[in-house]
Amino acid sequence: MNKKPIPTIIGVGRTKFGEHYEREPENLIEEAWLKASEEAGIERKDLEAGYFSDYFLPLTNKIGLEEGFLSELSELHIPMEISRSFSSALMNACNAIQAERYKLVLVGGMEKMTDRWDKIRDDLMMLEDPWSYYAGGTPEANHELLLREYIKKYGILGEDLEKLKIALAQIAVKNHFHALKNEHAQFRRPITLEHVFKARNRARRMLGLFDFAPISDGATALILASDEIASSYTDKPVYILGCSSATDYITFPSREERTGFLATRMAVENVLKKAGISRKDIQLLEIYDQSTVMEMISLEDLGFAKFGTAWQYIYSSCEDYKGYYEIEGKKLFVNLNGGLKADGNPLGATGGAQIYEIFKQLRGEAGERQVKADGELSFGCALELEGFGTKAYCHILGRNVL
Amino acid sequence: MSSEPIERRVAYIGDRLRGSRCTLCGKEYFRVRDYCGRCGRKSFGKMQEIDLFYEKGELEVCTLINEPTNKFKKLGSFIYGIVSFHNGKIRVPGRLTDLIINENDEIDFASLEGREVVPRFRRRYAVKRSEIIPTISLAFTFADEYYPHQEYSKMNPNKDYDTPGIVGYGVYISRFRIKEPHMERSVPFIDEDSITAAVEAGKLALIHSGVDNARIGKVYVGTESNPYAVKPIASKVAQVLKLGEEDRADGIQGVDAVDTEFACKAATSMFKDAASIVYYPKSEIEYAMVIGTDNSQAAPRGEPGGELDFFVGYGACAFIFGMKDVIAEIEGWYSVTSDTPDFWRRDQEPYPRHGGRFTGDPAYFKHIRKAAQKLMDKLKLKPEDINYFVSHQPNINFPTKVAKELGFKEEQYLPGLKVAKFGNTYSGASPTGLAAVLDQAKPHERILVASYGSGAGSDAYSFITTNQILEKRNRQKFTIEYQAENPFLYYVDYTTYRKFKSGLEAT
Repeated sequence: MNKKPIPTIIGVGRTKFGEHYEREPENLIEEAWLKASEEAGIERKDLEAGYFSDYFLPLTNKIGLEEGFLSELSELHIPMEISRSFSSALMNACNAIQAERYKLVLVGGMEKMTDRWDKIRDDLMMLEDPWSYYAGGTPEANHELLLREYIKKYGILGEDLEKLKIALAQIAVKNHFHALKNEHAQFRRPITLEHVFKARNRARRMLGLFDFAPISDGATALILASDEIASSYTDKPVYILGCSSATDYITFPSREERTGFLATRMAVENVLKKAGISRKDIQLLEIYDQSTVMEMISLEDLGFAKFGTAWQYIYSSCEDYKGYYEIEGKKLFVNLNGGLKADGNPLGATGGAQIYEIFKQLRGEAGERQVKADGELSFGCALELEGFGTKAYCHILGRNVL
Repeated sequence: MSSEPIERRVAYIGDRLRGSRCTLCGKEYFRVRDYCGRCGRKSFGKMQEIDLFYEKGELEVCTLINEPTNKFKKLGSFIYGIVSFHNGKIRVPGRLTDLIINENDEIDFASLEGREVVPRFRRRYAVKRSEIIPTISLAFTFADEYYPHQEYSKMNPNKDYDTPGIVGYGVYISRFRIKEPHMERSVPFIDEDSITAAVEAGKLALIHSGVDNARIGKVYVGTESNPYAVKPIASKVAQVLKLGEEDRADGIQGVDAVDTEFACKAATSMFKDAASIVYYPKSEIEYAMVIGTDNSQAAPRGEPGGELDFFVGYGACAFIFGMKDVIAEIEGWYSVTSDTPDFWRRDQEPYPRHGGRFTGDPAYFKHIRKAAQKLMDKLKLKPEDINYFVSHQPNINFPTKVAKELGFKEEQYLPGLKVAKFGNTYSGASPTGLAAVLDQAKPHERILVASYGSGAGSDAYSFITTNQILEKRNRQKFTIEYQAENPFLYYVDYTTYRKFKSGLEAT
């Protein structure tokens, strides 16, 4: 029986995230993809297909059919598909490789949110859920509602509640700390707990400005090959051992589960099964910290901490932060690029930055950010979300084929 | 730019908070559905339509929104959260309305969570003045504050009358007020207008009368402050209150709905039409609803027409006419009209103008005196035969003076004189006075009402209360007295009043 091809990353590239006032989206994706191509050592004409992602480009930049401008840019006439998140583009690309349709494809994501600075929150909210938008909801509101549901459900009170609030602030502080070493990050400045708490006081809520990821411009790209041809390009391939996705209702209030994301829980079970590994094998996590709450609940949804307990581990790990969370004796490196909070969150490109980070870390090429695990650094997992937990994508990357 | 079909669909669901229940598994949905997601194909035809319009919910969790999305910016800061109905079978997003949150207010969310809330029909968000006005009922207020939760229990009528009359009524005055030297005036919250008040009043009238909404065959809405120059308020009232026979497949109501305009008598003028239409057997209309609603306009003080800015109010009144379970029969009427331009607003002008001192003698007094006197003559009545006299009330002096001129004493005209509490609610003004009297009248008492509409004319009616007025009284908590003297009234300053008055129009 023929062995199924394994989708293999042979090169990655990205731009700096942040505000790129002077640049067209074309420049951004071009930069990301040329870097990825260079790292992979491929020629433009080697590509058989392109899988791209963006949420709002037709709205923010009025560029028409994205595939058309990408064709013009690359002078390629290969099949191209656009989807929303980078992870969805990547999953489609993996499916195609596994189905032996293609052997070498480009996956790219881009977003230019700051060009529509004054309207982007309305767009985000409308995408998240029209009925919540009609009722007056904002992109930030559901995070706070989820947090309040969480506190109620697990009966977190008094001193524990204060610790939870500190733990959430520590997440932001920790992600800014990681971003200091990330040359591509949007925010490369340290923040303190005081910054986070001041912003919360200003907002008169549990979550303030520093609890949320920014809006950003940026692009990311990677070259995906079948494992068979990957070895002719690199001797340090990174394999995508599993990918999985799940979907939940668009309207957050109408979901049964409102202290976490069902989609994440389902996606992670499937991806572990597909990759054939268990949680204890995973040392690296890139998770979707659109807010500090999302980083906390994702640790639970992904199964690394029991429900209602993640904040305790975050709190104790961050009292004297050593570069990782310690959860039940296990070291977990989380959001080494600074996460969405500090690295930035250009929607369609965000997932690409997560994969970029895991790729670099697994290859030992993360420079200043390179972490040292106990034993070999073998597996990383990326969680990307669309909407407010409406869709979850999990990818498990590994240095070796199992 | 708004999209008409999207607007229609969102309002159709959101104005009434329509939902569905699967009769197989019991799951409930916010939104109209043909199938249950859980039961699939076998649930087709087994979905029951429900709505949350007369229900109360619970605010489960909430947060503060102080940086709203663009269309909500005019609302300022507000509370937003999750509201559950039917013990959590349905959960919807919602914002709290009728609540002013100041910049430095500390909010204790825990004290808000877990409290009962009532859905309120309001403007959804700001749009440009050229666009369709979006509305929604995903706006809530606390059930234990100003606006109480009231069930709508339909009654089978048990008594027929020979004469048509009022079978129920409802008055809606907003929670917000402004104090003037000699009176208080009602002020709309920023998401209210004459459309939302009309729907509220109609809802309250249905609750009070117990009349089945499907048996109302005609609805008239009288107003001079419709935010649309072209597009009736009555169609919104008919759709939201589901008046007349409902054709669910097409989303159409089997009812005749029309707006009328004649300054402050736009509603009272239609009392006789409503009475006639229910009396005429071939109309096959059992009940007709007349609503007077106004977000009375006034130029800012100091500008031409700004004199009105000391008197205008906000609110609506709804009366249901029929020939079954009548609480006040119509004994007779008399109307007068002359072409007297004492108050007017030209097309595309935001504020009305008036004829100053000429609004008195040759306008208000002449017409009311004539209509009331003619009716009393026609019915051979003397002032002492009449228990209550109610007239149009643009201020305190005019109605007092005209009542005295006609020979009425304080005990006859004071019960129906409410302008000092609510301001001039224009189309709703004399009807509010009538409602105040009906709130307290005993059976077999006579009420004389004389409205006034600039332009000019007056409608005088004589009503005689029946025994049934008492049995229906306990069906309404939201009485005139309740709205006039309420611990939850909120007084605003002039600047806030002007801001609220200008409403949710995008600038």
